[in-house]
Amino acid sequence: MVNVLTTAVNAVMISALYALVAIGFTLIFGVGGVLNLAHGATLTIGAFTAYYATAALGLGIWTGTLAALVVAGLFSAVLYLGMIRWVQDEPIMVMILTLVTSIAVEQVFVVVFGTQPKAIPSLLPGQLSAAGITVQTNQALTFALSWLLIGALIVAVNYTQTGKAILATSMSAKGAALVGIESDRMYLYTWLLAGALAGVAGVFLGSFRTASYTMGRGPLVLSFSIVVLGGIGSIRGSVLGAYLIGFLEVFVVSYVDSSLSGLASLVVLVVVLLVKPEGLFGRELAEA
Amino acid sequence: MSEDVTTERSTYRDLLDPTSLALRHKLGLLGLVAIGLLPLGVGPLMALKLTGALYFAVFAMSWDAVSGYTGQISFGHALFFAVGGYSSALLNLGWGVPPAAAILAGTVLAAVAGIVVGVPALRLEGPYLSLITLVAPLILLQIFIVFSDIFGGELGLSSPEALLTFESFETAITANYYLAFGLFVFVLVLLLAVTRSDAGAVFTAIREDEDAVAAAGLNPAKFKIFAFVLSAAVGGLAGAMFVHTPSVGSPQPSQLLVLTVSIEVIIAAVLGGMGTIVGPAVGGLVFYMLRDYLGGLTWTVPVVGVPVSELDLLLFSLVTLALLFFLPGGVVRWAIRNGRRAMRRGEPGADRAVPDGGERVEDLRTPLERTLDSYDEALRDRLNPQEGDRPTPQEDDHER
Repeated sequence: MVNVLTTAVNAVMISALYALVAIGFTLIFGVGGVLNLAHGATLTIGAFTAYYATAALGLGIWTGTLAALVVAGLFSAVLYLGMIRWVQDEPIMVMILTLVTSIAVEQVFVVVFGTQPKAIPSLLPGQLSAAGITVQTNQALTFALSWLLIGALIVAVNYTQTGKAILATSMSAKGAALVGIESDRMYLYTWLLAGALAGVAGVFLGSFRTASYTMGRGPLVLSFSIVVLGGIGSIRGSVLGAYLIGFLEVFVVSYVDSSLSGLASLVVLVVVLLVKPEGLFGRELAEA
Repeated sequence: MSEDVTTERSTYRDLLDPTSLALRHKLGLLGLVAIGLLPLGVGPLMALKLTGALYFAVFAMSWDAVSGYTGQISFGHALFFAVGGYSSALLNLGWGVPPAAAILAGTVLAAVAGIVVGVPALRLEGPYLSLITLVAPLILLQIFIVFSDIFGGELGLSSPEALLTFESFETAITANYYLAFGLFVFVLVLLLAVTRSDAGAVFTAIREDEDAVAAAGLNPAKFKIFAFVLSAAVGGLAGAMFVHTPSVGSPQPSQLLVLTVSIEVIIAAVLGGMGTIVGPAVGGLVFYMLRDYLGGLTWTVPVVGVPVSELDLLLFSLVTLALLFFLPGGVVRWAIRNGRRAMRRGEPGADRAVPDGGERVEDLRTPLERTLDSYDEALRDRLNPQEGDRPTPQEDDHER
């Protein structure tokens, strides 16, 4: 029984991390209408920024996390400004460009850091124990931080001027333009935001496991599943999707077969795409 | 891809008559002949590499038939390559099926995989379909890992029997080269014929505006499935023959299935020129050989201190990004367009205005054209001795 409980707690922790990754992914798709296949690469950039800051520059991991947030956010913004902005009317072109970009980023890390996995220190060392369940403090922090960021994002989107403008753009870029919202700037904000969230998620993922040049691929594919399951463009759908997929992953690995890791969520993705492509909370894209 | 498409119509008689071909087609034929003669001039090691390059080019062409023409971008084309290669190898290793029959079965199974992926194409559009294709090979790879005892997991299977066996090592290499070359030519001709037919025109129309195709009374789904099955069968055939070529291909995920294989084929096709068939053929050959060349370089880049051999995929992805951005039509289209312009510029009086669009009467041909034309004439006399005064191809066009 305790075993099941521990597994469940682990699932909750890892789901919080997936939610961070998936929300950025869904923001870009929901607002800009394009799939950013370089999202996993952004996460890798965050992880390696933190690694570089701690291992090579000797900075603390908290500073490293801040650096990861900034660098990953900037990378994402530059990617949008330098490339995606010019082709965003062609979703396929965006997919090819971001996919090739992610390969290029991976290769840069292979060249600079090699193929060996790198360890990233925990943000908070030690363990927490309650009711017979032991949790890494680091994981608990991820959970808390994830909900803090999700809460802040929901508040920002619903109650601030800029947030409302982003929401309006996601509903109808034309309508938003008619009331004087610059959609290009809103797209830039979402890319920046998504990049920063992915950067932080990368640091946590790197400190749970290790940082390697292919570390972004798994979370990217998981984000597909989460976002498609939750409904593309829906933040609450993504949070719910992240927990469903997170639980599915952890329980399949713990109780069925550890070699099935990754397969369950892929199957969910295909089934949802075929049966209910708009997902749980999704809507059809309002306009092209 | 909003690249303009050449819509020249030519009858099959024109295609079969070498004297009526445009300059670029003649150059293409010359290129084919050159590829056919290559093993005579290079060593066996190079011939082996070229064999691999030919299979990769076939694979790139199969990607182009579905992605370049119908615009249903497949991010997981390695799936078909792997289904063909693995099933053929398994049949041969597990049940002792002779290689030729195993290859046929592998091709059929790959076509079935094409139906499995192509049918969702009925329901899903653009990015969603690409998502399915991206995920399908990942699922297959997971299955291979779960059932490692059958599929050999990440290490793959041992090499199956060779399709062609010879006593002498050199003969085997040359024979395998020509086998690959034969497949290359066959697929090139097949895909050119399909994409230049009326069905090909519908493919392009689906890419540009699917609703318009449906409005014209054609069923886009039917054409999409056809494109997928054709492409999958060709990809599977290439994969199956590839694994039965000793010292060139083997049934391993790293050669047939991993994500980078799917992306490499996109890079190669985009470099050459999506939606042309010839472009991906050229792109595939060049990509494979250039990567091999870069991989063998020991020269170290000065500032970062990294050998070029480790940078090959990085360099290619950066070049692809630049090309996609600045030359989205690919190298082959670019070369044809600039070639035409250069030839026109070389003509005397090219900058002179011509009244009422009429044609200039002086002999304005470039030396290359004149040489080719004189060959034409000789060839024409040989082919049709009784019609010595047949009109020239240009005039022929006007009559029709």
